Amino acid sequence: MASVATKSRDFHRLSPVWNVVFNLIAGLFSLACVFPFLFVTILSFTDEKTLKRDGYSLFPKKWSVDAYDYIFKAGDQLLRSYGVTIFVTVVGTALSLVFISLFAYAISRKGFKYRTFFSFFAFFTMLFNGGLVPTYIVTTKLLHLQNSVWALVLPLTVNAFYIMIMRTFFSTMIPDAIIESGKIDGAGEFGIFFRLIVPLALPGLATIALFSTLGYWNDWFNALLYIEDPSIVPLQAMLMRIENSMQFILQNTNNPSLGVGVLQSMPQDTSRMAMVVLATGPIVLAYPFFQRYFIQGLTVGAVKE
Amino acid sequence: MSSTRKKLSLGLTSVLAVSLVLSACGSNNASKNTESGNAGGNGAPVELSWYTIGTPQKDVDKVMQEVSKYTKDKLGVTVKMTMIDWGDYNQKMQVLTASGASMDIMFTASWAFDYVQNARKGAFAPIDDLLDKYGQGIKQVLDPAFLEGSKVDGKNYGVPANKELPAQEVWRFNKNILDENKLSMDGVRSLESLEPLLKTIKQNDPNIIPLQVDKTFMPYTPYDYLIEKFPLAVKLDDKDYKVVNILETPEMKQGLETMHKYYAAGYLPTEAATLESSTDIQATGQWFADKATTQPFANNVWSTSYGYPVVSTPQSDALIYNLSVMGSMQAISANSKHKEKAMEFLNLLNTDPVLRNMVDSGIEGTHFKKIDATHMENLPESKNYDMPTFSLGNVLLTYLNPGDPDNKWEEFKKYNDAGKPAILLGFNFDPSKVSSEIAAVQNAKEAFWAPLMTGTVDPDQYLPKAIEKMKAAGLDKIMAEAQSQLDAWRAANNK
Amino acid sequence: MNAIRRYVKDLNRNKALLLMVLPASLWFICFSYLPMLGTIISFKEYRFNGNFLSSIINSKWVGLDNFKFLFKTDDAYIITRNTILYNSVFIFIGLVLAVAMAIVLSEIANKRLAKWFQTGMFMPYFLSWVIVSYFVYSFLSFDRGMVNKIAVAFGADPVQWYSEPKFWPLIIVIVFLWKSLGYNSVIYLAAILGIDKSLYEAAMIDGANKWQQIRNITLPMLAPLMTILTLLAIGRIFYADFGLFYQVTRDSGTLYSVTNVIDTYVYRGLKTTGEIGMSTAAGLYQSFVGFVLVITSNYVVRRFNKDNALF
Repeated sequence: MASVATKSRDFHRLSPVWNVVFNLIAGLFSLACVFPFLFVTILSFTDEKTLKRDGYSLFPKKWSVDAYDYIFKAGDQLLRSYGVTIFVTVVGTALSLVFISLFAYAISRKGFKYRTFFSFFAFFTMLFNGGLVPTYIVTTKLLHLQNSVWALVLPLTVNAFYIMIMRTFFSTMIPDAIIESGKIDGAGEFGIFFRLIVPLALPGLATIALFSTLGYWNDWFNALLYIEDPSIVPLQAMLMRIENSMQFILQNTNNPSLGVGVLQSMPQDTSRMAMVVLATGPIVLAYPFFQRYFIQGLTVGAVKE
Repeated sequence: MSSTRKKLSLGLTSVLAVSLVLSACGSNNASKNTESGNAGGNGAPVELSWYTIGTPQKDVDKVMQEVSKYTKDKLGVTVKMTMIDWGDYNQKMQVLTASGASMDIMFTASWAFDYVQNARKGAFAPIDDLLDKYGQGIKQVLDPAFLEGSKVDGKNYGVPANKELPAQEVWRFNKNILDENKLSMDGVRSLESLEPLLKTIKQNDPNIIPLQVDKTFMPYTPYDYLIEKFPLAVKLDDKDYKVVNILETPEMKQGLETMHKYYAAGYLPTEAATLESSTDIQATGQWFADKATTQPFANNVWSTSYGYPVVSTPQSDALIYNLSVMGSMQAISANSKHKEKAMEFLNLLNTDPVLRNMVDSGIEGTHFKKIDATHMENLPESKNYDMPTFSLGNVLLTYLNPGDPDNKWEEFKKYNDAGKPAILLGFNFDPSKVSSEIAAVQNAKEAFWAPLMTGTVDPDQYLPKAIEKMKAAGLDKIMAEAQSQLDAWRAANNK
Repeated sequence: MNAIRRYVKDLNRNKALLLMVLPASLWFICFSYLPMLGTIISFKEYRFNGNFLSSIINSKWVGLDNFKFLFKTDDAYIITRNTILYNSVFIFIGLVLAVAMAIVLSEIANKRLAKWFQTGMFMPYFLSWVIVSYFVYSFLSFDRGMVNKIAVAFGADPVQWYSEPKFWPLIIVIVFLWKSLGYNSVIYLAAILGIDKSLYEAAMIDGANKWQQIRNITLPMLAPLMTILTLLAIGRIFYADFGLFYQVTRDSGTLYSVTNVIDTYVYRGLKTTGEIGMSTAAGLYQSFVGFVLVITSNYVVRRFNKDNALF
């Protein structure tokens, strides 16, 4: 942390008053953002009947761990899902970084003859898409990815939005002189990219890595489409499955066919909250850890100057 | 170099890349195909792939192995069941069907992977001939109304599960509160007849909700709807089969006025119009009356599941609607390569108690044990195989649980025999010619529907508005189309 | 001949960079461009017939019929207006606040604290709209909501929030900003941290104070990113966040005049018929309008500053 502190030592530091104001703004807003999480956690430890009678309350009259009991009954399924999510997130993020940064770097180069074409080529996919069914067909019939973890990794690997952000980072943060000096030293394009550009672009890369990590961690839709084998269902998909099914059954409570029995076998509100805690808890706890590298990456990038 | 040429060359490069990808995948494809081709040919058992609704259970594969052993001997088929969770079923089946995935049997209903809609779009194979050839057992077991009511444009596309057939609306009462206030449900039938009871409850205990309604509530009117929750309907005793806008009928107007009166008097939940379901209030028991659809022994089921006694009294006759016969069905995919075998399997599923109970409760000795010829008891392992019974074929074949009355299924049969067909049984409106009008009317309708039905807004003011908005969105055109389809159906069926 | 030779030479000169774009380009072809061919079903009355290809071929061609429902009745005006107005507000206020928050975070003296704040701001990103809607409801419920409880405690009348359209534009904007601000400010924060420190040092030597530094260095350095992100957002101006407008409002009919957007309209309209052709048509319409708008605004941006444009 010391390096960060010295690094940001300014002659014209923010005046103490403004510093307090800034702290207040950021602090209050982040409190407003964290609050629901605390709330979810409290709710997940609330007694189900109490929740139904009193509604959401910060100080429930009766506490309970039934919700977690219910989920841990599923046993190894939960652990396996953690494994799948972590694998998909790590491998996916690594792949995305490579694909995205290479593409973005190339189209950020003014000397690249086809940069307009490829920029447009990427951008166009942000607006137009073929819809669900055609995508499903390509993924299953052409690439044969159904029931494979790669169906969770590949569809999210590239993202034109990230490419556009990354391209902007490259073109604003990297002086042309560096590329020229690399060329003079006789380095090839790939050599320049990996040895000179990547260290300078770390803030951008860290941002993309972060987004990509979150994207993979939160993804459930690809699992809905492509995964039927319960042993490779990721965490969020498990959570969303329960959420969607609750929603669906609640909407059909008056349907005589569905009957009361089905509703009863559904997890309760508190279990859903517990699922949220279990599914997001790890990444929230891991986030400061990520962030340390994020910040370190940033300072390294800055020191390189 | 000209820019067109540049574009052209780039186009060529990408075409090349695509064809590379395609050819790589194509070869893969070919090898797969021959494999599966061999498996079918050599007299080896046919594997039926069966998609059904419900939370995926851990032991499905294990149970299906046992099922396959049984069906291999009897029919020469094995079964692979894939369960798709409730909330995902519609979307997943939509994608699977639209992409032409190979499936054999799939669950369908009026409320999940819409039966009529998808039958018309060609998702299911017509089964009339198959039923005659391989499904005689099904025809014997089912009340004819099931197959009659599930005809789409004159053809059957699914095997309905044998279960309660007519639908009857009842008023339910929380018995403890009924008794505490010394009230009786005798003489209660219409919405209006509830009033004195609700008034008493409101006076005696302000913490209890006198009449629990949520956004799905609709006052009962003696009409048969053309599409679920869509305002077009025909009066149950109308000899002319005239299609009307339900909001313009005197019965509905009266119902809505009463609801609004109740709302103003505080008999209904304040936020009824956005209340998704009544489950919260049911769990706490803070309600006095509500509306539900009944079936034999429903009071017992409700009482055990809520944990307090519930009683009920009818508010309508028991009639067989299209919706009630389409509550749970199994259809054969139009893409299935084993349609005959699939029908043989469905026939066995609906007639053979051993198979039906194995599919429903799992492996005997592992998931359940039999007590006598008709009763069973769940074993602890059944938590790994907890299936929604109603969705898997003939319910009347399933073994009874310890708490069930011995005459349960006889009562179901009696109840089914007593049901009379509603006026539109067997007629299914085809919306494809007016689908853009329906989309517009649907939006206009939804803005007013729940607030009106739950009495939240004053019908004197909002009913004319709603009618006008729906007319502007094209309701009349839909109505005319519906009328002409209905007239054609009447002519064809001598109604 | 000459042209071909020059073309080959061009390819050769750019081969390293072409190799760099290759992996992602292949991905785009597989996952974006090939499926795009399926858009043809927006001109068809889609019916199943064997596999997808034969279904498409055998389905009836209906021209622009599938688009009609988007323009029927006066709802068409309301949904278009709502979608565009909300998105414009989201884009504008979202941009200002995200940049402001990024500057605030970058200027906070205690970096450890700033890190915690930033972590906190990210949390809403993890909550699905369904869960968010529960929270909003726990605030706005008529008899159990916190807002009404507080109002009653202060002697005010409780409000039926879910049937009062006038409050909802504000509620929706607040909920949107709450959920997205943390995420968006991270992009700008990273950009700020990537700015060459020597620029600030030079400015300090010239005697510029903090505010002048922000105005003259930070903001101009962020301009390209702001432009790009805004252009991209304009491309999606016809798309609304379904969960925000459907779940959070509890699908309350009374609120439709201010909450019905294109996505919710399509969802409600197609519930009974489930026409894939019509939903694809709606998507195509949304993309197409966005496309036209982006191309136009990109053209404008290009005239001012070629480097800030998308392409």
